[in-house]
Parts: sequence; structure tokens; C-alpha cells
Amino acid sequence: MLSQKRKQFLIFFVPSVLLLLLTVVYPLLYSLVMSFTSSSLKIKGMGSFIGFDNYIRVFKDAYFLKSAWTTVIFTVIVVTLEFLFGLIVAILLNRITYGKKVFFTIIIVPMLITPVAVGLIWRLLLHPDLGIINYMLSLVGIEGQAWLGDAKWAMITVVLVDIWHQVPFMILLLLAGLVSLPVEPYEAAEIDGANRLQTFWNVTLPLMKATIVVAVLFRVITAFKTYDLIYVLTKGGPGTTTEVISYHIYKQAYTFLDTGYASALSYVLLLVVLMLSAVFVKVSRGKA
Amino acid sequence: MKKWLCSVVAIVMTVTLLSACGSGNKEEAGGSASSGSGKKQLNILMESVPDTDIVKKEIAKFTKETGIAVNIEAVNYSAMHEKLVPQLVNSSSSYDLIVVDNYWVGEFTSAGWLEPLDTFIQRDKFDTSVYLKSMFDMVGQVDGTTYMLPFYNYAMSLIYRKDVFEDADLKSKYQAEFGREMKIPDTLEEYVNISKFITKQKGDKMYGSVMMGLRPDPISVEWLNYLYSSGGDIYGKDGKPVINNESGIKALDLYIDNMNNAAPKGSAGFGFDEAFNVFAQGNAASFITYNWMLAKLNNESESKVAGKVDIASVPGGTSLNGGWGWAIPKNAEDKEASWKFLKWIESFDIAKDRALQGGSPTRKDVFADDDVLGQYQYYVKVQKVIDESRMIPIISEAPQLIEILGRELSEAVSGGKTSKDALDTVAKEVQDLK
Repeated sequence: MLSQKRKQFLIFFVPSVLLLLLTVVYPLLYSLVMSFTSSSLKIKGMGSFIGFDNYIRVFKDAYFLKSAWTTVIFTVIVVTLEFLFGLIVAILLNRITYGKKVFFTIIIVPMLITPVAVGLIWRLLLHPDLGIINYMLSLVGIEGQAWLGDAKWAMITVVLVDIWHQVPFMILLLLAGLVSLPVEPYEAAEIDGANRLQTFWNVTLPLMKATIVVAVLFRVITAFKTYDLIYVLTKGGPGTTTEVISYHIYKQAYTFLDTGYASALSYVLLLVVLMLSAVFVKVSRGKA
Repeated sequence: MKKWLCSVVAIVMTVTLLSACGSGNKEEAGGSASSGSGKKQLNILMESVPDTDIVKKEIAKFTKETGIAVNIEAVNYSAMHEKLVPQLVNSSSSYDLIVVDNYWVGEFTSAGWLEPLDTFIQRDKFDTSVYLKSMFDMVGQVDGTTYMLPFYNYAMSLIYRKDVFEDADLKSKYQAEFGREMKIPDTLEEYVNISKFITKQKGDKMYGSVMMGLRPDPISVEWLNYLYSSGGDIYGKDGKPVINNESGIKALDLYIDNMNNAAPKGSAGFGFDEAFNVFAQGNAASFITYNWMLAKLNNESESKVAGKVDIASVPGGTSLNGGWGWAIPKNAEDKEASWKFLKWIESFDIAKDRALQGGSPTRKDVFADDDVLGQYQYYVKVQKVIDESRMIPIISEAPQLIEILGRELSEAVSGGKTSKDALDTVAKEVQDLK
């Protein structure tokens, strides 16, 4: 006879583990094996085992190294700006009493749009000749830019679009953190005569630390993997100014059909993301 | 307070998850339709373009004649290659017929993914000599074996605004400044000169030409017109890259000059749609593009410049040829049924009917047909364009070639490299491809 607990375990736990094994663990292992082979979409089966050749090639690939650097810059800029902007908006939203839900609903909308749609919409808006953005700018006497067609502006433009799309995520997480803060420390701070800035610095931030680490970590990981936006907006151009790692990997797999090498690249990316996560977790546990 | 936030988070997460699932399922839907023996339904993967829509209108007739239903899955170009390759590698394919872009031909045939059609052709006495030679050499036979029947052409050409090139004011000013008549140019130098002149005269109301500089395909295919028309080529006769010789560098310098000094700001980031829209809105005087765009641009529901547009050869005379071919995958289930449809859709009557509805012909007899010519007088010019055009070399790494070329051209246009450096890099990297 199965106990009630056992039954629950079987019904809820086993299917989800099976599903995870099938959709996450299996592809992960498969691509790990693949990264040590000369596998290609052009040949049947796995290709031959070639040891660490793919991994050695990764660090000799000048385009990969450049795209890695571009990705780092992109990630640092978008996460910093999105965090600052998200925090400010979250604090403002936390303070107002009327219309909070209305603001919140409006702000959350971009997050519900898929990245490809976001890219396509912004491509239309940013069209230098026919788009509405340059038209609006011309109304107030500012000369429009070529945006995605200008090597100097392309990265900035992609960053702006990404901020538009991803800030709601930051706001959502940070606001959730703010709402759940205890009231007592604030009362204590008030009694001790702390001003607003001091309260923010010494009470809010330390209490929010865990939330902030999670929010920033999530964004760093997703920003590192950014692919759809680049694919739709610039295809890595002009030149190679916006070519990020994920797009580079995509091309190795689907243009050059070199799935073995692409798997190796993916694993390097995965390692970097894992290391970043470890650092973040350490930081959050450090002094909290 | 906390509750509503919680529920919002929950809803957001669910919606995101569901939308992801939704898009995932759609991908799968196409494949599973075929089952059972004695094919009652043919599945075809095609690109969502006007010629495909025309084929869709014809298939009811085929089903009526033969009792075989035809299911066409039309997808965007960018999704086609990655959808096709895994299907072709498998032991069986869910597609009974496919259409092959000319720059996949080398890859598909050298991998042995396409069924040779010669035995079908001989048995049923299907005449392949009716096809334009440049089309049949590109999306018909490879090294003497027929793998495809040419479906439609998309050779590139110069599409221009008649009213701008005939504008008396512009013409007299041009005469005064350069001492020669402003007319449809014969050389690229003259083309770029006129193009810059129009932009200088008209400012942002009318650009001399609109261009598409997005990586990788738009910029590559556009620039190859410049390369071929300057007398250059990608590989020389001995198979070594010659793309970085004098003609190549001249072609790229002219291209950059036109991009920076005549085309609309931001052209370096334009894909096909953005460039097309500028022209269709009436803001550009010329556009090097696919010849079948003329019909679209002269259609009032799609363009503001309907009736003012005409077609000519690309200045310099040699444009980039392009086309699609019908092919039967080697792993198709019932090749006899596939061939039945292929033979039917490419027969003179159906090919003519498709042409009359605006399809781009590949057969000489359709081009020469009185009804077709009566409706589309400019097909005389189109046939000349196709005859004199040149294709992307048939090598199995053509998609990679386009990727490399696109990246380096974009580098040169955006000022990251000089023309020579960019083309030297292309030459070095494409040498390893062949």
C-alpha cells in the first residue's frame, strides 16, 4: 500500500523530473558530447571524436573573442541602466497610493511582448526616413539619426530598445522586494532621526540585498544570452559592432552548420554564466 | 497589497510560459500531416512570396484532376534553410517536394539530398530545352544531371522612376553641371554620379537611390550587382578568389560612395522591406532589386508610385541572377506522386497561367507568348536581364560565402575597414571554403 505522501510524491514529483530530464538534462548532455565531435548538420549522426579541438578553436576565433567583448559591454551597460532605472521607478511606485495598479499595468506591458515582436516594432519606429521617431525629433528641431544603420549609434540603439523591453522585469522584482520589507526597521530609523537618504542607504538597501542580487543576476544571465533582438534589429551589423556571442553561436550552427563547434561555444558561454552566478550567490551570502 | 502583486507575477509568468509553448507547437504542426500509403496528400515547403500564392491558387485544379491534395507550407525565407536541412538529413522527409534557392543548390546536390530527375524526364518526354539557359544552368542541372526544374526567376535589375529621370528641370541642370545628358546610365560610375546629383538637388525629398546594407544577404546580393557589372567576380577561372582585384575594389568604392552620398541616411541598416518602403513611398529615384518588384511597385494598393516605375538592366549590364527550383527530396515518400505534381505545375499551360497572374517565368515559350507579352510588355527587358545576368557560384558553402561577404562589406560601408582590407579578408576566408 502506498502512503498518502508516497502517492503525492509519485504524482507530482516523478512527472516533473521526467520532463526535466527529457527537456533539459538530455539536450545538455547531448550537446556536451557533441562539443567533442566534428558533428555537423550536413552529415548523418555525430561525426568523429576530436577531443578538445573545438575548445581550442574557440580561443583562436577572433570573431568569437570580439563578440564576447561586445557582449560584456552590452551586458554591463544594459544591466546597470535597467537596475538604476528599475529601482527608481519601483521606489516611486511603492510610495504612491493612488493609481498604482494603473501605472503598474502600463509599465508591465512591454515585458509581455516577445523579443522578436519588440525588434520588429522598433525597426519600424526607428526607420530613419519613414519612422516616427525621427519625425518626432524633427518636430522639436533635433536632427534624426540613422540609428541601426550607423556604426556609432547601432549599439546605443540596441541598448535603448533592450532597456525599454526589460526594465519592467526589474521593476516587477524590485517592487515585490520593496513591498515585502518589514515596517519596524523604518520606524526605528525614524526614531533615531535618520533622514530619507540615510534611511534608504542604511535600511532599504541592506534589506533589499537578496532581492537585488536575484534581479541583477537574472538580468545579467538573460542579457548575456541576448539573441532575438540582435537578430531582428541588426544581424550583428553595421560591420561587427553589435555582434554578440549568442548570435555568433547561432551562425556557427545554422549558417556554417557546424554543430560540434557551436556546442563547444555554447558550453564556454554556459561556464561563464555559471561562474557569474556563483560569484553573485557568494556576494549575496557574504554579509547578509 | 502583497496579494495583487503576487497574482500579477503569477499571471505574467503563466502568460510568458504559454506564449512560449504556443510558438513551439506551431513549428511542429507542419510535419505530421502525412501518413498512410498511396499518397493522397503532397506536402511542399515554400517561401511566402507572390509566386507561391499564385501556385496556391492553381492547386485546386490539380486535386480535381488527380485526386491528390496538395498542402503548401509557406514560411519566411529566413526560416527555410534551417527547416529544410534537418528534414533532408533524416531518413524520411515530411516534404514531398521542396523549392530550392539557387544558393543552396551546391550544398543540397553535393550532399546528395535531391533526387535526380533525368529518368522521369526521359520517360515522360518532358522538354527541358524550353527553359532559359541561365535559369536551367542555375536551378536545373548541375554537372549534367538534372536535379530541379526552374520555378521562378528573381534576377536583379535597375528599377527606376520614369518621372524623375525625365524631369526637364533636373535634366537641364545635369547638362549644365556635367555637360552630358541625364539618362538611364550604362555604367556604374555614371549611375552613382546621377544618383548623387539627384540627392544633392532634392535633399531628403528624393534620394538618387535607395540601398539595403543589412548583413548578410541584402548587402551581399546588392553589391554583387556592382561587382559583376564592374567586370569582377568572386572566383577566377582557376578557382582562386579574385574578389579583391582592381574591379572588386572599384565596385566596393562606388558602392560606398553611393551609400554615403546618395542613399537615405541609415541605408547601411536597411533590409529589403525598409528599402522597398522608401521607394514605394516615392522617396527614391532608383533601386537595384529583383525584377518582379516592378509589378508590386506598379500596383496601386502597395505603392504610391504606381504607374511611374520602369525597369532597366543594372548599369554596367551584368546583374545578379537568382531563382528557385522545384526539387524532390531523395528521402521523399512517394516520388512518383511528387513528379506528377512537378510535371503538371511546370507544364506550359499552367506555367503560362501563373505568368498571367504575375508570376515570374522561367520558360522561353512563356516569355514569348503573345498573351503574356500583351499583359507585360516589359518582359522583353526582363528576359534580356536574365540572359545577361550571372549567378552566385554553385558551391556547397554558398550560404557561408554570403555570410562572410556580408560581414566584410558591412565593415567597409560602416568605416571599420578600407575596401581593400575588407575584400582581402573575404578572399582569404572564401579560399578555404571552396
